[in-house]
Amino acid sequence: MAGILPSDPRPWPERRDAGLGNATMRTTIGVVTRRFSSGQRRVFHEYEEAEQARQVAVQAKRRAVRHMDQLIPKVRAKIESHGGQTYMAQDAREAVRLLVEIAQAHDVQTAIKTKSMLSEEIALNRGLEKAGITVVETDLGEYIIQRAHESPSHILAPAAHKNRTQIKRLLDDDARSVEMETPHSEEPADLTRFARSRLRREFLSADMGITGGNFLVAETGTLVLITNEGNADMVTSLPPVLVSIVGVEKVVETWDDLTYLIQQPAMNGIGQRLSSYTTLISGPRQPGMAEGAAEWHVVLVDNGRSSLQGTPFEDVLSCIRCGACLNVCPVFRQVGGHAYGGVYAGPIGIVETPLLTDLQVLPELPSVACTVCHACGEACPMDIDLPGHVLRLRKAKVARCIDHRSARWSYRLWSQVWSTSARYRRSLRLARIAQKLYLKNGQLKNAPGLAQGWFQSRDMPPIAPEMFHEWWQRTRGNAHGQQK
Amino acid sequence: MARGGCTTEQVRLFATCLVDAFRPKVAIAAVNVLERNGVRVEFPAEQTCCGQFAFNAGYHHEAAMLARHFIEVFERGDSDIVALSGSCAAMVVHDYAQLVRDDALAHGASEAEATAWEHRAQHTADRIQELSQWLSQRMDDSQPQDKSTVMALHQGCHMRRVLKANAEPRAVLEHSGIDVMELEDADQCCGFGGTYSMTEWPVSTALADAKIGALLKAQDAGATALTSADLGCLLHLEGRLSRLNQTFRVMHVAEVLDSSGRTPPGTGRG
Repeated sequence: MAGILPSDPRPWPERRDAGLGNATMRTTIGVVTRRFSSGQRRVFHEYEEAEQARQVAVQAKRRAVRHMDQLIPKVRAKIESHGGQTYMAQDAREAVRLLVEIAQAHDVQTAIKTKSMLSEEIALNRGLEKAGITVVETDLGEYIIQRAHESPSHILAPAAHKNRTQIKRLLDDDARSVEMETPHSEEPADLTRFARSRLRREFLSADMGITGGNFLVAETGTLVLITNEGNADMVTSLPPVLVSIVGVEKVVETWDDLTYLIQQPAMNGIGQRLSSYTTLISGPRQPGMAEGAAEWHVVLVDNGRSSLQGTPFEDVLSCIRCGACLNVCPVFRQVGGHAYGGVYAGPIGIVETPLLTDLQVLPELPSVACTVCHACGEACPMDIDLPGHVLRLRKAKVARCIDHRSARWSYRLWSQVWSTSARYRRSLRLARIAQKLYLKNGQLKNAPGLAQGWFQSRDMPPIAPEMFHEWWQRTRGNAHGQQK
Repeated sequence: MARGGCTTEQVRLFATCLVDAFRPKVAIAAVNVLERNGVRVEFPAEQTCCGQFAFNAGYHHEAAMLARHFIEVFERGDSDIVALSGSCAAMVVHDYAQLVRDDALAHGASEAEATAWEHRAQHTADRIQELSQWLSQRMDDSQPQDKSTVMALHQGCHMRRVLKANAEPRAVLEHSGIDVMELEDADQCCGFGGTYSMTEWPVSTALADAKIGALLKAQDAGATALTSADLGCLLHLEGRLSRLNQTFRVMHVAEVLDSSGRTPPGTGRG
């Protein structure tokens, strides 16, 4: 079954041009992605066993994705044996409905939340707010963009498109709205100090905590949350009710598998050997325990994921949301995350968004947002064949006629003509005559058809007065190569 | 490197459509370099284009037509095929076998026919190398006397990541007396991407401008030209420079090797 994913209603050219025109964003994204990707290279270089561990992690994840159907009942039974409650949501709508019901059953006014891409995917905040529930993001980046009423622009660093001045301004407004002292300066330490005391109020007063999940271990029924701010510790221990929404692809089989996987998001995402905080939840508070939620609800969400099982795209489900592919992507660096128009930006986004929705949502992405440079394939720690999938999706679009008719005719004609040397040569000789219309100062300034796009911003040398095959014919005759 | 003796090495040249039509002097330079080293160059005259432009755009049946033509032209004979583009060589090496197999099956061929096409593609793929790859395997270990010419090198993405031939262009250039300068953010794509440069020209151009920014820094640091093993990237960057009324010398690796006079195998000229 296809999943439901939100998307920006603006067409790609508008989203793209907004990105290309945002100089601040392009600068900050450039700085962040360079830092993260060089960090990834450095940590693997410095740490010899890392590569071998990564390969074991890939195998563990592949196995889990293949056997999802068996692992899900297993993990549900385990969680329930610890006193947790589990649910299965087929799509985004069902997931939101389940969360609203849980919140309403407990008269929840305010919920606090850790960072979760799945919650963005199912548009959870909007759903809860519609039901009159206030949601407060507790990850600093998420908190910032929530103040700006924006969506994350980077899987790992949601506010990576903003600079300090912009962040200070948002937090100043926030401080005034709750009559708190504004941050002392634009320095990250001051901004963080403000957020810390600001969020403390929310942590202490919230009725419900909401988390995502990086991994869910079937063997032990343990949910694993990785953060760099420790906010997940607060969200999972302070409010009386805890709800975790977890994609079905997050289940891994054994604790041993987890030990290989747990370093991967931090090593590949930011170049750190382990995230600063790792929060493990195996059940609600048991008698005699000092902290923890009294109730723990785990909502497993499919939303199109199981439709990829057994297809050439199955490896996409191994994604651990580290963001390594975004950090090396040249297109991402130019247009930024919001241009993609979906929840997931960058190479994983242009593959996963159309795939989860049976090419219904943002099907243009694999064509417009990739130069096929293969940098993502090289960076992905889970060995997901991202460049291959981009090409497979482009092929699928042609097969399903989600392409432009004019483009189809161009490619068809071009290939037919060039599949014999006589026609290839004749077409170039004709073009050489016709190009005189577009020549200026020895350079081509325009051309018809597909090539028009080139000349919007670039010149081109004309077809040579003597092409190489003509030169060869003149100087070597038929000595070595025979012409038909 | 055989020279002057009984065996003469022979290669078949794949010029590529871009070199053939827009910059034939690249192929002439390659012929000069190879012949100067005693290599006998053959030019299979029926060659056209590898079909990557259609393949990358999703038109696999169209790409397969060109791939089958390429295979028919180049499968005869056992000598190496030397391609003047890393990207086209990568297409043949990495994509041909699957492409012609899938296309055969999709158009009613039997399993046996599809497998036959796959094998023919593989036979061709096993023989193709990009020029600097081919030359670097035949280099002696002598060092040039003078390395005063500084050039910036742009590594095409398919050369770098699909062929994984990241060291070869630098090695042959250095052997020919070129001081090779790495561009800032060298791992970033220049934005060419085949027909992506036409269909998504605003992003393609933004990437060209980023690359040109790095190039101008290299120029300040002493680089006198930009070189690459891929003409597509070079035409894209040169075309952008021209439109911006900027001039910077842009040369294919074959042109650099030819003009340097000292050819990579080193021993061939005597």
